[in-house]
Amino acid sequence: MANDTKVAAGLYKQTLLAGLWRENPVFRLLLGMCPTLAVTAAVKPALTMGLSVIFVLLCSNIVVSLMRNLLKPHLRILMFTLTIATFVTIADLFLKAFTPVMSETLGPYVPLIIVNCIIICRAEACASKNNLIVSIIDALGMGVGFTLTLCVLAGIRELLSTGEIFEVPVMPDAFVPWVAMSMPVGAFITLGLLLGLVNIISKKKRKT
Amino acid sequence: MLENITVSSAPHISKPLSTRSVMIDVIIGLVPAMAAAGYYFRIYALILIPTCVFSAVATEWLCNLIRKKPNSLGDLSAVVTGIILALSLPPSLPIWAAIIGSVFAVAIGKMVFGGLGANVFNPAMVGRAFLTASFGMMMTSWTVPATIDAKMPRIAPENMMHSRTQATPLWWSKLAIKNKLGADVYSNAQFESTFTGEVGGCLGETSAIALLIGGLYLLIRRTINPSLPLAVLLSAFIFAAIAYLIDSDAYVQPVFHLTSGAMLLCAFFIATDPVTAPLTTKGMWIFGIGVGAITMLIRIVGEYPEGVMYAVLLMNAVTPLIDRFCKLVPAGGKLK
Amino acid sequence: MLKIKHFIQQSWLLIVSSFFFGLLIAIASAAWSPRIEQNKIDKLNRLTAALLPEAKHFIEIDTEIEIELAKGKRKKIKVYKAVSDADECVGWSFNAAGQGFQDKIELVVAVDKDFQSIAGFDVLASNETPGFGDKIKLPNWRNQFAGAPVEELKLVKTGDVKKIDSEIVAISGATVSSEAVVKIINNSITQIKKQMQEKGLIGNGK
Repeated sequence: MANDTKVAAGLYKQTLLAGLWRENPVFRLLLGMCPTLAVTAAVKPALTMGLSVIFVLLCSNIVVSLMRNLLKPHLRILMFTLTIATFVTIADLFLKAFTPVMSETLGPYVPLIIVNCIIICRAEACASKNNLIVSIIDALGMGVGFTLTLCVLAGIRELLSTGEIFEVPVMPDAFVPWVAMSMPVGAFITLGLLLGLVNIISKKKRKT
Repeated sequence: MLENITVSSAPHISKPLSTRSVMIDVIIGLVPAMAAAGYYFRIYALILIPTCVFSAVATEWLCNLIRKKPNSLGDLSAVVTGIILALSLPPSLPIWAAIIGSVFAVAIGKMVFGGLGANVFNPAMVGRAFLTASFGMMMTSWTVPATIDAKMPRIAPENMMHSRTQATPLWWSKLAIKNKLGADVYSNAQFESTFTGEVGGCLGETSAIALLIGGLYLLIRRTINPSLPLAVLLSAFIFAAIAYLIDSDAYVQPVFHLTSGAMLLCAFFIATDPVTAPLTTKGMWIFGIGVGAITMLIRIVGEYPEGVMYAVLLMNAVTPLIDRFCKLVPAGGKLK
Repeated sequence: MLKIKHFIQQSWLLIVSSFFFGLLIAIASAAWSPRIEQNKIDKLNRLTAALLPEAKHFIEIDTEIEIELAKGKRKKIKVYKAVSDADECVGWSFNAAGQGFQDKIELVVAVDKDFQSIAGFDVLASNETPGFGDKIKLPNWRNQFAGAPVEELKLVKTGDVKKIDSEIVAISGATVSSEAVVKIINNSITQIKKQMQEKGLIGNGK
């Protein structure tokens, strides 16, 4: 019995860490590129987007995991989409009601979480095959991993394009903002360079 | 006989022509333009050109170090990128911006693709595009040449930012389109000054004469294929002429478009970059016509006064397609 | 019969959960929609209140005002009457939109009570080039509209930004965006003023 819990704890830990680094949705799986590129001009919207995704991911993983034994294989994608769309709509309404400014900044990218591949990927690859606890841990790991990556990307872009981080000025006065970094160009270049960096690090890790 | 060989697709004949010797030719070709820049913009040219060259070379060296690749500085391509970038910058651009541009040009424009030969876009233009997108204001403030403004600093750089600014010839022509004043903008005196270079503009683009001398040198040395500059200039001329014929009140004379702005610099030095231009003569014609047409489209219809940079970048993007379209048929072979 | 049975067997989960999810959304929407509506009104009020500091609240007027946009398209415009503490009209505000450099520019414009001078404007939504066109949002550019007469505003290349008159100094490097704003304001104010005069909401002035 004690051994079982140990094995389970190990599995939970692995699932949690997978989303953060080994299977990081943005850097390793390259999923959810649309929000990654579109809302990372500043940290605040990136964080809001990340939290919305965590919420939707968590809810959809719970629901899918609970009904995993009832799913008909050929109707499962339909079921996933329905679940995801429901929670995205709720998240969208919530943002509109409580953070109207943020909701306006994010614009169509909140409803677009519906087609964010990370969520459907986790529903298919994890929640529909695992029990509730594993699914919840997986959702948290993936969601937090996604949020952190978005924030790193947004931090770099916001710093260079406005000289601020989280709307707090950090650069000296003489700093001239690099406007290009707040444009789509900046998103692609920063993402590309970060992907390269992550590849270098993981290659080094594998060697040792 | 050795001079008769140009960079081209197969069949090849061996010749001691290396990237290095081509690049040395290009640098020699750019000397008149650099001299004109030095004459008209004095201290600005003296600072900007070495800054760009040095930071471009340093970036290439650093990238090679990181990638653990053999040092490729010997081919001098980084030097050429630095010079071309510097010549296409406004004279009063702050030094740090020039450094960012050069680092960006070499690192993002060339090295991330795998170094010289693998880059899709002209590195110097990539750097310039990034600067334009980032520091739009600085990239569109022009300085009058020292020959007009006697107060221009000659040695000390401290009052650099105070120099008078002046609109470029292309900005006038843009204004003319809006106010239907084409005939007024174009006068012999102004045509002359775009020829000699006594106007506002980027460091190396003002003097048509210096660029023509450099271009001629490259043509005589057969470093570049005459088709490309010819195609660029011809198509730009034709499109400018069409606009001029339609409404000679609004649009300036076609020759004016050829001598002003970065058109000549582009035709001889930027578009002819062997890596990012097509290999076959037919391909070069398509490429050149495209560059000329897009440039004129931006100048005449678009919102920006100058369109050379975007034209070159856009045509760079379709170069692989052009190359595939213009495959040469080997002797005795059949077109599939 | 068999078909229906098969159908239900396959899809009961989908139907049940659709119903359940629908209910969930309905509850969320019912709970939050007043807040969402309030947010929209608040935003408009906040913007207009900054333009007309004396106003305490805004009343939407009943009369229909319709203006003609560029291509013969007509659009209904909501005009709000700004009322002070003492229940006096202190000005009018309305939304106006038009084509900018890249995308539609939406403005909220406020004028004084006689439609004689502009009280100011603010940008509701725009997608102008960062660093150039988006400077239309900056207060030091917008301020030159505050107090300017409603008659045809003119855009000039150079001039004094601080001087309040019908000459609006363009943002350097963003003539198109500046022009768009001036055009939107000119177009909407003249038409709305005329219709309001016709309908007797404001005096014929002068």
